[in-house]
Amino acid sequence: MPLSTQSQGDDEQYVLVASLDNARNLSNILKAITFKDHAIFTATTNGLKVTVEDSKCLQANAFIQAEIFQEFTIREDLVAFQINLTVLLDCLNIFGGTTTPGVSTALRMCYRGYGYPLTLFLEEGGVVTVCKINTQEPEEPIDFEFCSTNVTNKVILQSESLKEAFSELDMTSEVLQITMSPSQPYFRLSTFGNAGNAHYDYSKDSDMMELFKCTETQTNRYKMSLLKPSTKALALSCKVSVRTDNRGFLSLQYLVRNDDGQICFVEYYCCPDEEVEEN
Amino acid sequence: MNCVLEGNSIKAFGKAIHALSRVGDELWLDPMVKGLALRSVNSAHSAYACFLFSPLFFQQYSLDSVREQDSGPIKCKLVMKSVLPLFRCSTSIERSVKQCQISVSTGSDRVIVQFFCRHGITKTYNVRFLESEALQAVFASHLCPNVLKAPARLLGNMVKHFHASQEEVTLSMSALRVSLRNYNEGRNDHMKMMHTEMSLHPDEFDYFQAGVDSDITFCLKELRGLLCFAESHCLPVSVHFGTPGKPVCFSVEDMVLEATVVLATLADFESRGPSQPTETPAPTTHSCADAAALPVGMHETQSNNLQVLPDVTELVESSQGSPITYPPVLMQLQCQGDNLAELCVPAEACACAGMTPPSSMICSLLFKALSSELGDDDDYDDGGAPRLPVLAYFSDEEDYPRSPSL
Repeated sequence: MPLSTQSQGDDEQYVLVASLDNARNLSNILKAITFKDHAIFTATTNGLKVTVEDSKCLQANAFIQAEIFQEFTIREDLVAFQINLTVLLDCLNIFGGTTTPGVSTALRMCYRGYGYPLTLFLEEGGVVTVCKINTQEPEEPIDFEFCSTNVTNKVILQSESLKEAFSELDMTSEVLQITMSPSQPYFRLSTFGNAGNAHYDYSKDSDMMELFKCTETQTNRYKMSLLKPSTKALALSCKVSVRTDNRGFLSLQYLVRNDDGQICFVEYYCCPDEEVEEN
Repeated sequence: MNCVLEGNSIKAFGKAIHALSRVGDELWLDPMVKGLALRSVNSAHSAYACFLFSPLFFQQYSLDSVREQDSGPIKCKLVMKSVLPLFRCSTSIERSVKQCQISVSTGSDRVIVQFFCRHGITKTYNVRFLESEALQAVFASHLCPNVLKAPARLLGNMVKHFHASQEEVTLSMSALRVSLRNYNEGRNDHMKMMHTEMSLHPDEFDYFQAGVDSDITFCLKELRGLLCFAESHCLPVSVHFGTPGKPVCFSVEDMVLEATVVLATLADFESRGPSQPTETPAPTTHSCADAAALPVGMHETQSNNLQVLPDVTELVESSQGSPITYPPVLMQLQCQGDNLAELCVPAEACACAGMTPPSSMICSLLFKALSSELGDDDDYDDGGAPRLPVLAYFSDEEDYPRSPSL
């Protein structure tokens, strides 16, 4: 395979080398967070984290563990850069992204370090493409200070039911209100649109509800425009965990299975629009 | 009002709303003792549709007619766009909705539609409505000379031959055959048009009665919704009509529901093109007018000047709103004895008798005031009734997108 004809010596110059037999295992998950052009790539020995932020209120992270890659070599503790995500996705799909069985695009991603471009070697059917994408100074991702000790309410749902709810959400509503409570209505999504209000209630006994742990009644509103991109992650996922903390910050974690059945995670953090405490 | 639907009824209800959405942008919900009526009328008032679901259609149906001021339950006018999405995906409704509950409580301005779905999911929609006038048109179909009855599939197949953009068609009936052809406004570019005509032998129909030879031209778009509904329920469709200018009525019924679509037809004038809806509030003599007229009674429950008039008639044309030219002759108010369409509005319906002159004067003045641009000597004909078309649109809406250019 052409990619392996790279001389071993070249590798010494790279601080990060990551290879995948199927580039879709990376590109699919990146599509779930592509709502802005730029993303921050952070690599550690654990794997790769890609972060996209919007207006300081929303942050999406995609985690691809080192085990997903066929090769993952990192020569520093932390490697970080900022890159144009749209361009990166275009390159990953440069062979057209057709899903002929047995045919996939192989990827070798190499980074020499600060100031160097990200080099992608892509191969499909004997054809090799080399892409060099400029990198930028990585901005510090926002720390939403969302920690599990402050989580007041948590549910884990099968994505199937949420997908339907999100596809039917009234988009004329500026906010999505999420109510979580140990008593009725348990878990409720509400919209306030031009035509009127809509509420989606999930009973805690629903067979779609895998976990229900709500300690207090909380109602929070989030800007619809911020949450809308999360539907892409929802579409890819099989399970989603919804958590709110004592400040009303929302954490959505999506469990995504890639083409080879391996698990990756995507998470979204969102600030509340305003706090509405209801008893 | 409170009603509960289960199973297939939910899907049928949804399809009825789909059919009504092909007619108008608003949905009137009228809970009555004899059932729940869903109605719609197009903005030109040239098409009216009504689906009446008898109490048997529902799992539960109850009216709580406790209301301080009024007698009877609430009549709600809903914006179609807010109701249609609730019933949009009939396959997902079929798959996941177990029960649907619709309720309107007095003193609130919302219709509550609740879907109890599988997996412990409940969807609740509070849809705002405008409490409004009742909308009803009654068509005395038993008086129509021409009657056809055919399985929905037959009509569906006939209509399939016409392009989706074909607005109007002409249905011709004689003792020997029934034909359907497309109708194009009197333009001369025959070369650019495709003319389609199909003829059927009377034997094709389950019931065939050709009282008078007649060619009626009506708008197809609003009919398609009903045909779709009828086909999905495998119901036969009845067509009642008479001479051109009188409305045509398409109806289906089964044990628990009846659906009707009444369409205005073009009157038989040579120089005539499709025209725009006109609003002449006063003269109910228009209801038996020679020009294509669809009498739709709107009964104002709120008190305002218009309450002086028990009902209001709109003179409409069958098409969808191209600019009009009105030959004065069309506005002649002729009262024909065999008026088929009556206004169904509480008691005061006055079909052909005409309004008392003072009221008609009041109303026309009122409307004239709203549209002073048109102030013309031509406004009144000899009879003292307004002659010119349109002007103010009689309704609460502020914008009437297809206003004629004055």
